[in-house]
Amino acid sequence: MKRKLMYSAGMLMLLGSPIFAQEPAGRGIEGRDFRLALAYIAMGIASGLCGLGQGKAVASAAEGMARNPGAAAAIRNALILGLVLIESLALYTLVITFIAR
Amino acid sequence: MQAELEVWTTALFNRFLGGPLDSFLNAVGHPAADPAHPWQNWITVEILVVAIILVVFGALRMKLSVDKPGNFQLSFEAIYKFVLGQASESIDHHVERYVSFFGSIFIFILFLNLIGIVPGLESPTMSPAVPLAFAVAVFIYYHWMGLRKHGVGKYLLHFAGPYWWLAPVMIPIELISHFARPLSLTVRLYANMFAGERVTVTFLTLTYFLLPAVFMGLHVFVALLQAFIFMLLAMVYVGGAVAHEH
Repeated sequence: MKRKLMYSAGMLMLLGSPIFAQEPAGRGIEGRDFRLALAYIAMGIASGLCGLGQGKAVASAAEGMARNPGAAAAIRNALILGLVLIESLALYTLVITFIAR
Repeated sequence: MQAELEVWTTALFNRFLGGPLDSFLNAVGHPAADPAHPWQNWITVEILVVAIILVVFGALRMKLSVDKPGNFQLSFEAIYKFVLGQASESIDHHVERYVSFFGSIFIFILFLNLIGIVPGLESPTMSPAVPLAFAVAVFIYYHWMGLRKHGVGKYLLHFAGPYWWLAPVMIPIELISHFARPLSLTVRLYANMFAGERVTVTFLTLTYFLLPAVFMGLHVFVALLQAFIFMLLAMVYVGGAVAHEH
């Protein structure tokens, strides 16, 4: 199942090969669009990975609170702190998106 | 980024105090980009927030009473207890010395973030200068507290790590991490506030009139959270700087 998934992902990526037919982009409008497109893709990757990280944090926090309801306040504090720190990683990428504009 | 609208406070300041600020900036060596409008949105709204905080806390101070605390006093006592309790988790002892700084940071950033919700005003934390100022203030403060407590020699020796032979590896790592702290504090606060407003405005162009109020509600929650996190991280840094070794 995993091998099928890898192959189909590889085929999907090869579907995008017409993009290599572009002429090389330099300074000016074409260069700016290229950098902007890359910044958007970077934002997508950053948000996706941060979503994974935050999901793991919330899952562990929920399980901890379920096992030990007395420690819920401390776990909630640690959860909020962890979520904000992970969130800030996605926000650094967002700032780079604004700079590339 | 595109030019921002002038908030009414900025228009007021530019009309009446534009000349003095122009001469001050020219004297200092940084002439304003647009001499007709030297005041910018963030500084005028910040001055407005300072005036509001002075009025609120002045009224609180005058109504303080031990026997009959009113609801106003009780709510600020709750805020004080909250800051004190949070600081006690990060700092070992003598917490009261630092509470004034943490409380000021929390209240000021909270008010600065929330004033953007009021229609007609914009959060000063939306421009990168204001969070940078807070981050630099926190940086100077926690190093100053560490130097004051341990003395210059011992404090600088902490950067070398636990063993002397680790020092060539630890010192660059510690330096980079210490300088990354103001950067992360700045970018976290700035990006959260800026993105919150930008998302609301963007959704306003995409859909009906009052639907983006959901994003505005999220923005209020994020404003509260970011003020709290700034204060919490300041406490963690001060706690790390004044920590007792064994």
